[in-house]
Amino acid sequence: MARSARVYRFFGENLILLSLVAIVAFFGFASERFFSVTTLSTLLNQLPALTVVAIGMTLVLISGAIDLSVGSVLALSAGVIGACVVLFGLPVPLAALAGIMTGALAGLANGSLGAYLRLPIFIVTLGMLEVARGLAYLVTDSQTVYMGGQIQGFALPIDGLGMSASFMTALVLVIAFEFLLKSTVFGRQIVAVGSNESAAAVSGIDPRQVRCTVLVISGALAGLGGLMSSSYLGSADPNAGVGLELSAIAAAVIGGTSLMGGRGSVMGAFVGVLIVSVLQIGLAQIGITEPTKRVTTGAVIILAVILDRWRAT
Amino acid sequence: MTPRIAARRIGKSFATPVLRDVDLEIPTGCIHGLVGENGAGKSTLAKIIVGLEHADSGDLLLDGRPYQPRTPAESLAAGVAICAQELSLVGDLSIAENILLHTATSGLARIRRKAAHEQAARVLRTVGLDASPDVRVGRLSLAEKQLVEVARALATDPKLLILDEPTSALTAPQSDRLHAILREEAQRGVAVIYISHRLRDVLAVCDRVSVLRDGEVRLTENSHALHEQTLIREMAGADADFDARPRSIEDTRPVLLRVEDLRSVALRHPISFDCRQGEILGVAGLAGSGRTELLNAVFGIDRRLGGSVTVLGPGEATEIRNARQAIRCGVGYVAEDRARDGIFRDRDLAFNVTIAGLRRVADRAGRVVRGRETPAVSKLIEDLRVTSTGIGQRIRELSGGNQQRLMLARWLHCESRLLLLDEPTRGVDVAAKLAIHEELVRLRDSGVAIVAVSSELEELCSLCDRMLVLSNRKLVAEFHRSTWRQEDILAAAFSEYSSAATPSRA
Repeated sequence: MARSARVYRFFGENLILLSLVAIVAFFGFASERFFSVTTLSTLLNQLPALTVVAIGMTLVLISGAIDLSVGSVLALSAGVIGACVVLFGLPVPLAALAGIMTGALAGLANGSLGAYLRLPIFIVTLGMLEVARGLAYLVTDSQTVYMGGQIQGFALPIDGLGMSASFMTALVLVIAFEFLLKSTVFGRQIVAVGSNESAAAVSGIDPRQVRCTVLVISGALAGLGGLMSSSYLGSADPNAGVGLELSAIAAAVIGGTSLMGGRGSVMGAFVGVLIVSVLQIGLAQIGITEPTKRVTTGAVIILAVILDRWRAT
Repeated sequence: MTPRIAARRIGKSFATPVLRDVDLEIPTGCIHGLVGENGAGKSTLAKIIVGLEHADSGDLLLDGRPYQPRTPAESLAAGVAICAQELSLVGDLSIAENILLHTATSGLARIRRKAAHEQAARVLRTVGLDASPDVRVGRLSLAEKQLVEVARALATDPKLLILDEPTSALTAPQSDRLHAILREEAQRGVAVIYISHRLRDVLAVCDRVSVLRDGEVRLTENSHALHEQTLIREMAGADADFDARPRSIEDTRPVLLRVEDLRSVALRHPISFDCRQGEILGVAGLAGSGRTELLNAVFGIDRRLGGSVTVLGPGEATEIRNARQAIRCGVGYVAEDRARDGIFRDRDLAFNVTIAGLRRVADRAGRVVRGRETPAVSKLIEDLRVTSTGIGQRIRELSGGNQQRLMLARWLHCESRLLLLDEPTRGVDVAAKLAIHEELVRLRDSGVAIVAVSSELEELCSLCDRMLVLSNRKLVAEFHRSTWRQEDILAAAFSEYSSAATPSRA
């Protein structure tokens, strides 16, 4: 192979990773405060929740579905954790489990209505977006529920590692779900259902079952996101995660996941999460106002899709 | 006289050359047949003429003037219409609206419902399709869609009409009717390019025929001077012969599939039959006679209304209710519409082959082991002589014949004991067809039971040991190899449509 072709392929295959490096380098030059402990800790604190939600979103998108409810489900789960700890005085691990189960249940509702009753999943999860947000206000009585130090351990850096349990969990889940997607029977089934549902059915795969399972996973991961965000804040905020579904979809798409289903990667989505988060923090640091920040982030998402299209052909 | 369309030294390469210096001239009023194996370049040439692909070299002349369509819209405006092999109708629109999409001169023109309706009704009458112009295209059968596609092309009143495999889903009377229409159009001065694997049709309807092989025109000749054997020889580069040898039938082999009083939404009349180990059972019938619906019901894709399907093994009998269970019992299904129900087009060969039998290449934890998958798939594509650059190639880059072999490979990988095959050689060239037939016979001899549906009676006659005939969604007859005659089978296939009974639409 000619050298130019090799260079071309290298850039094509590692496009998003190179973009991330370029963005980091840019902010490094543009802001003297960018390479600092503050930036890193902000990043490490913000990342876990978006990462786990983006993992779920990636699986759902690859299966040819969508989950618009993740942001609200995250808030609902956080609310349930808050209620369990403060109102019922449950130990934190039990409360955390209840939060994750709440997310999984919301996912099960999405999955059974969308996959088994054959209702449009877009609409079902749009409905769930409202239902879960409303329930989040109900369980928290529309107040931020303060839990204090007992829940924050999950988000605090572990001695000697410098990373929080939250962050470690997110990293492990990225690797685990990338493995699930790329190297297991279930991963193949997700891809098959997303790329040709009818052919998958003829191959003995039940598309409803696969989609439902994936939506339950997405719900449970949103629940875990609820635990992560409330442990970072030390409280359960019913307003948490507004618009998170859009950031998660953006991260997945930046990472090369197709909205049409059948194609994508969890590792890519993680790089997508990094790009979205670094942009947010970096733009804020160089003094870009909130409206301009949103314009820039939106433009980056569109640019990512254009680049991805170019890469695919 | 200036030819209607002239191609001068057309060249086109994708990864490898697909067309090499193709010269072709078609005068007005001429029906010109184009035959050749899959990958010979027929469809590519057609796509270049309508602007779906662009030639790397050479020129096109339409009525003597340079003609270089960049898009299908431009070719349509120049008076060139195509009925492509992959149907391009919009399922959610009505027949009339689909036709309007092609005939409307401007996107802003007001839709005149009544005129559009009348125009559609007129062309539907011409092609002999008894359907209302208001019917949604998505509700039509494959044969009906094919006729709508032809009707749509005719509605544009073309100077040059290109048909790519127009009869692959049509019944004999429907094809005959189409051919009569083409002759009328030719008399009015329309030039027609007719691409087909059905050599008999090509010889019957075309004035001249060109054979393409490996992107080159090997032969152009008046069709009355040609025979099927000549064409096959030029296409394949070697003498090919359909197997018409008699076979001994052993009725003593154990029954593998037992279907009893099977009914589904599409099949109201109960159907019962058996298929034995090492037997190829054919299912004949006209298009729309319920052949595909029968396989769907047996495999458990269509909901059943009654009856049972049992797979018998040594000392056990399992009733199958859904596709997953059927596969577990060793049943495999190659569906008629490969693009819709078969391939995962953006995935590689390995994915496409192992998807129905992932457990066979996975460990207990559900991890797909590459070290098991790669050799298994490599062996299958070697055994089936699939032409590809390797198991990592995307299936959409392969020709139809190779894709079809991979569909067989999918079930060979599962070691299926019973194969349900719907049009196993649809849209596949002659050489690939013979290779698939050979493979099926080899499978049969190794004890696999095969139920094969085909619209080509000759194919069934050469392949099968026994044949069921469906007519108007009823099982009307069963024939054995030793005693069947084509006329009898055809008569049975038409039996439920005659006199009082009118063809019903699903």
